[in-house]
Amino acid sequence: MTLEQPTKSCSELRRAQPVFRGLEAGHRACQGCGQALAARLVTEAIGPDVLIANATGCLEVFTTAWPQSAWRVPWLHSVFANTAAVASGMEAALKAQKRNTKVVAFGGDGGTFDIGLQALSGMLERNHNVLYVCFDNEAYMNTGVQRSSSTPHAAETTTSPPGRERAGKRHLKKDLVTIIAAHRIPYAATATVAYPSDLRKKVRRGLQVEGAAFIVVHSPCPLGWGHENALGIEVARLAVQTGLYPMIELERGELVGAMPIREVHPVTDYLRLQDRFKHLFADDPRAREELEHLQELANHNIEVYGLRAQKPDRFDSEGADTVRRGGMRTA
Amino acid sequence: MATLTRGAFAKPGTSLQFKTGDWRLQRPVYLHRNAPCHVACPAGEDPQAYLARLAEGNSQAAWETLVAANPLPAITGRVCHHPCESSCNRGDYDEPLAIHGIERTLGDEAILHGWNYPVRPLSSDALRVAVVGAGPAGLSAAYHLTRLGYRVSLFEAESEAGGLLASAIPAYRLPRSVLGDEIARLLSVGMTFMPRTRLGRDFTLDDLRADHRAIFIGVGNQRGRQWSVDGVVPRDSRPGLDILKEWLSIGSLPAYKSVAIVGGGNTAVDLARVLKFSGIPEVHIISYRAVPGPGVAAEDVMRATAREVRQAIEEGVIIHEHRGVRRLIIRGERVAGVEMVHTKKLTRSAGRRETVEFEGTETILHVEQVIPAVGQEVDPAGLEMLLAGHPFLHPDSWGRLEGFEGIFAGGDVREGAATVSDAIGDGRRAALAIDSYLRNSALPASQRPVVRLNDLNVNYFEPQPRTKIELLPVGERNAEREIEQALPLSHAGIESHRCFSCGECMSCDNCWTLCPDNAVLKTLEETAAGDHYVFDYDYCKGCALCAHECPSGYILMEPEP
Repeated sequence: MTLEQPTKSCSELRRAQPVFRGLEAGHRACQGCGQALAARLVTEAIGPDVLIANATGCLEVFTTAWPQSAWRVPWLHSVFANTAAVASGMEAALKAQKRNTKVVAFGGDGGTFDIGLQALSGMLERNHNVLYVCFDNEAYMNTGVQRSSSTPHAAETTTSPPGRERAGKRHLKKDLVTIIAAHRIPYAATATVAYPSDLRKKVRRGLQVEGAAFIVVHSPCPLGWGHENALGIEVARLAVQTGLYPMIELERGELVGAMPIREVHPVTDYLRLQDRFKHLFADDPRAREELEHLQELANHNIEVYGLRAQKPDRFDSEGADTVRRGGMRTA
Repeated sequence: MATLTRGAFAKPGTSLQFKTGDWRLQRPVYLHRNAPCHVACPAGEDPQAYLARLAEGNSQAAWETLVAANPLPAITGRVCHHPCESSCNRGDYDEPLAIHGIERTLGDEAILHGWNYPVRPLSSDALRVAVVGAGPAGLSAAYHLTRLGYRVSLFEAESEAGGLLASAIPAYRLPRSVLGDEIARLLSVGMTFMPRTRLGRDFTLDDLRADHRAIFIGVGNQRGRQWSVDGVVPRDSRPGLDILKEWLSIGSLPAYKSVAIVGGGNTAVDLARVLKFSGIPEVHIISYRAVPGPGVAAEDVMRATAREVRQAIEEGVIIHEHRGVRRLIIRGERVAGVEMVHTKKLTRSAGRRETVEFEGTETILHVEQVIPAVGQEVDPAGLEMLLAGHPFLHPDSWGRLEGFEGIFAGGDVREGAATVSDAIGDGRRAALAIDSYLRNSALPASQRPVVRLNDLNVNYFEPQPRTKIELLPVGERNAEREIEQALPLSHAGIESHRCFSCGECMSCDNCWTLCPDNAVLKTLEETAAGDHYVFDYDYCKGCALCAHECPSGYILMEPEP
């Protein structure tokens, strides 16, 4: 076997990649951005025949610095509040033209949990044939890390600083999936960048169903969460393995699948890697209480969704990311 | 200057104009590092490389990769003490890979299918090199020299090649047919084999020098070391190795009711098992060192292969560990027993380790005969000049002998060599050194750094039990039937997928899948590093996510130049 220097340049190789990627390099996301990775994985699963409506937020800002665009698919920036409404309109227009092009809406947790929630609710209620993907990095990262209703309990942001009165965010993370489930839409799921095969599988499922589908993707933010750039996937994986971010699928509001956790990690494994939870490791009775509180929130998730694995499974928290020689994956 | 499009839309993928690579403070590089199994192998095999070929489903390519280092895999796959498995990173995760069993399977497949050794025909002006001794060291040196393009004359004192493989390893460990097939195939790669030609009797080193450009000495250590207890030797005492050799060549064994063998090496254990199989009810081994087991320090373990010791105990051989022989009890001219004493190697002043006997711990063992198996030494015939009065030769790690240009040595003739695999490694390194000497070129560069478990990301692997290798039940064992059973090729293939691929790309696509910046590109052609991925440094921001998520430790972060 002779070794040869590749004869193709990087730009030639880039045009000859085996998979279509709707999000191109040269975007301005921070080093190790989980959302950039999540968005690209989602576009990989969608393919080229799509229209995307994108709410205001990091993703919109870092992909489209004027006059350039990192998108390889038709993409439209809506305002913060109305992404779901814009996507609804796109879908209606395509329907009127009898075209089968898919419509996907992207939003961050700010644009989904908070600002865009009523438009989203409307879209789900009218059951538009749209896949709504929420990239959940658990705060308003684009404007400098302010708390959102998705920020987990006890996390530090610039508007939920730990101090004399509080140990980080006072309130709980909004249980958005239950709100979505109440709309009885055909498909809803949670996913994460740590399990790319699982994520792509859920995106394909969401596109397949007739009617509205919703996926929320846990996307680590090195800047806002205060973890090392290299540890984004590690952190996201631990969020699943501790039970803090359950991987579930719902059809018509009913739980139809959950990724079992083979080895349940203590929540401190997850929290310790992130500066936003640093204050919980101080020698302070309130910090200890909050750690216990977060552990109980994880235990609650494990209980209500039945996450503890009965026996090893190839799609559980240890098996779902197994790699094989030659890049064979489950999805 | 960018111009605004009609309708103020941006063209697709135009962000590529913006090179984010200049944000980078560190850059990822693909770097093949060494798997611990490779570093641990005395013969110089790279198990990671041949397991990869086997996992790809190409057992012939796997065998060719294997014999690029060790031409005798069917043999070492049976007799080696497999330090590769002891060092396997998987051992700290669940169980080490069954590398030893896979090596044997590949060796047997090659014999079964008659795969050709990867050796090119010699050119007519090939330089001549002499190899003295056709044991593992000599065979290995001769094979590698032939591969490197030299015309090799291989001299052997006995009528057949194999050295101690043929004369001292019983068939239950190494069936004669395997030994014969493997060596016959090896001898036919293009070397000239001259049996019944003994150094010191039929020729001298000066004779060889006259028509060979270099000489490799691999004559082994043929003479049983002198043994006595305070000058007392039993009347009919013979070295254990001689008894073993006699049994292997003519099949006769001494008959006693009870025997004590002194020594803890493979000869002692082999002889004990052969005697036990022959029906001697009581066979004892007396060793200064300990029976191998968890928690026993490496320098304190008996030198025999751990699994052989384990099997000997299963078969009823009694091992007295940490014992020395204080006194022989002789009645008339016959041995009536030995007085044993507890001993231990202790570090005394200035770090010297000495064997200490503990007073008051003497016990008597009633046996009919005591057989020493305390090691051998080099037969000096023909080597007087090189030995200069020492019992062994002392070549450097490349087999070079100081003061004797063009003469190289390895295997048991060297002090400190202990195993067949050591000898094969010696032969290979000496062949490389001879090549460098004759071509006046540099020796191969030093080793790559080693990958340990914490350099891997084991989240991407699943626990999977090691494939079991069957043993003959104790009741069915005898001196002829092979005790360890073969790992079928299909099982070997499944086992090979357990390999962590330490330090080498396994094309799992993780870096390509997980790069947030699309800065990893796939290529059909193989790159210079031997993989199928390229970093696009125009866009890589240096986040190191790929390096952290690489399952096999193949990506390293370097400071930006």
